Amino acid sequence: MGVLILLVMAAGVAAMLSRKIPTAFALVILGVIIAVIAGAPFKGENSITDTVLQTGASMLAATMIAIILGSWLGKLLDETGIAGTLVRKIVEFGGDQPVVVALGVLAVSTLVGTVTGSAPAAMLAGIIGIPAMIAVGIPKVTAAGTILMGIAAGMPFELPVWQFFSTALKLPVSDVRGYMIKLFPFALAAAILFVVIETRRRGAEHSWALKSATAKPPAADSRAAARRAQLGDARWYALLTPVVPLVLALGFKIAIIPSLLAGVIYAVITTTPPRDMSKRLLRTLYAGFEVAAAPIALFVSIGILLAAVQLPGSIDALRPLVKDVSPQNPVLFVVVFVVLVPLCLYRGPLNVYGLGAGIASVLISAGIYPPLAVLGLTASYNQVFGVADPTSTQTVWAAQYAGVTPQQVMARTLPYVWLVALGGFCVTAATYL
Amino acid sequence: MTATRTRGGAPKAGTSGTSGAAALAAARDLALLDDAEFGVRLLRATGLHPGRTDARLRSWARSAAAYGAGLPARTGTARIVESDGGLAHGLLARYTTRPPTVELFTDVLARAERLVDDLSWRAWFPPGSVREAALAHEAVHEQLHHGPGRAALRRALGHRLLSLGGRALYGHVAGAEEIAAHAHAQAVCSLGRSPLLLTAALDTVLDSATAGPPAGAAESGPAAAHNSPSPPASPLRRKK
Ligand SMILES: [Zn+2]
Repeated sequence: MGVLILLVMAAGVAAMLSRKIPTAFALVILGVIIAVIAGAPFKGENSITDTVLQTGASMLAATMIAIILGSWLGKLLDETGIAGTLVRKIVEFGGDQPVVVALGVLAVSTLVGTVTGSAPAAMLAGIIGIPAMIAVGIPKVTAAGTILMGIAAGMPFELPVWQFFSTALKLPVSDVRGYMIKLFPFALAAAILFVVIETRRRGAEHSWALKSATAKPPAADSRAAARRAQLGDARWYALLTPVVPLVLALGFKIAIIPSLLAGVIYAVITTTPPRDMSKRLLRTLYAGFEVAAAPIALFVSIGILLAAVQLPGSIDALRPLVKDVSPQNPVLFVVVFVVLVPLCLYRGPLNVYGLGAGIASVLISAGIYPPLAVLGLTASYNQVFGVADPTSTQTVWAAQYAGVTPQQVMARTLPYVWLVALGGFCVTAATYL
Repeated sequence: MTATRTRGGAPKAGTSGTSGAAALAAARDLALLDDAEFGVRLLRATGLHPGRTDARLRSWARSAAAYGAGLPARTGTARIVESDGGLAHGLLARYTTRPPTVELFTDVLARAERLVDDLSWRAWFPPGSVREAALAHEAVHEQLHHGPGRAALRRALGHRLLSLGGRALYGHVAGAEEIAAHAHAQAVCSLGRSPLLLTAALDTVLDSATAGPPAGAAESGPAAAHNSPSPPASPLRRKK
């Protein structure tokens, strides 16, 4: 029976890999099939309808709210010109030296990455940051990679991710915070190394592009861009907005949702005259829903998958299989999981925002590893996935916006994030095994 | 008003479709704009100058062009590589520093030459001048990358960030170097108009050839295109 579940999972991975079915749908289908194989009844306790679909769909509700708030704050950073101002200042002060601009944009991306994740974060930092880097001569692949590495450096402090790991792995937020603080130095060091080494290796690049002089006048732009254009630079204290939620959640140990809310309020107070506040708040909130749609759909389906693999029948079936292949020796633990890193790419089985969440849940509920060790595994894989997966939305967006392929970005960034994962596994093995 | 506007009287290109003819007419109309306007558009296209007036950008474009035109003509020392991947990448030429290399994209150069004929712009862009202009253009990047030119360009633009007593810190203006390189190419190769005009015309006709939308739809364009130096959704890539 356990083998059958694994086969179904493999088929699901194949369907996601070949893009036959979108991940969000595939996970729901997987969840239902796994529940059927595990012998779950149609309704009632531990059933397909009541447990897997009903409870599972809302299991990650707190994460979804955090995602909405993060997207809201992201929209505010965009519309109020906070993100753009940061990038423009960097270019004005350091534009003669491409590496200075790249490091500055990296810092902005890291800040943005603590607020919101995935494609919205990439867009927030990249819509202005990528052309800015290209304009000063940073090669396109490096430019896209810089945004992604920067966001990933902020990811250990991305509050919605804390909420996700806390709920999915049934850990208190303080435990998640504790591990993330240890993971952050690796992510930051890799990001800085990426920029410094890659700008050295590849040098600068100046293109005579066909699109260079075809800008449309602002009137033809989107309304949000036009609003941003009229606004000019944001005030210096408004630029502190991205650190507000971070300081509250990290420094004052305030809960995640109020921390993010405080960021939203700080952003609007420092940028918007009182008479326009409610209008702007509502508009950006609704716009935030739009960018949150994809991750929310994913988190609904991950919840369903989690509910399915946490069924008693699934755990009993999977425990013996997983137990046999899971290394307990700390050195072996690090070696095996470092070798398995590529499996989190291309919607692979270790992708944390896919089947990987289910596997992590099995590892915990079957008692193979302590929950904190599983957190270490998933958070480290998340660092790889968040940058180098050529099928994840932020990588696809950043690559295409820069005018390169996601595979090129993967090839360039993978060595660096692989090192981050190695660091994360070492910390995990040393601390929690 | 001027002789360039020939939309009404021009003989219709019989073989090409209406969108091709419309694109050609749109490209021809670009000549009605002055060269500084293309500089303004280039600056806008960096996405780094929102909230700045057209007058400000125009003055920067003029200063950058003057700086570029005034640079001494120098033959680049970089290796020259020719290839035909330009249409796929949306590039005419490229300078890379490691190793110092000028890449010329022969397919786009050939297309540019053909377009000059189609638009009857030979008086502005003599035969073979596009290739020469590309070399002169990239030589400016080479020169500025390895010398004190960037600081001089900043001073020429005069975008003051801080000033203390008599000393001032001038800011980098994204896009100015590109305008200077184009102006330099125009001056050195004695072109009647800025290479930016030809670039914009090329983009107009190639856009209509790849995307093939009705003429009206081409006006609005992709929402994000203004921000990006390259097509964000990569319609060029899709055609492969
Ligand atoms: Zn150039």
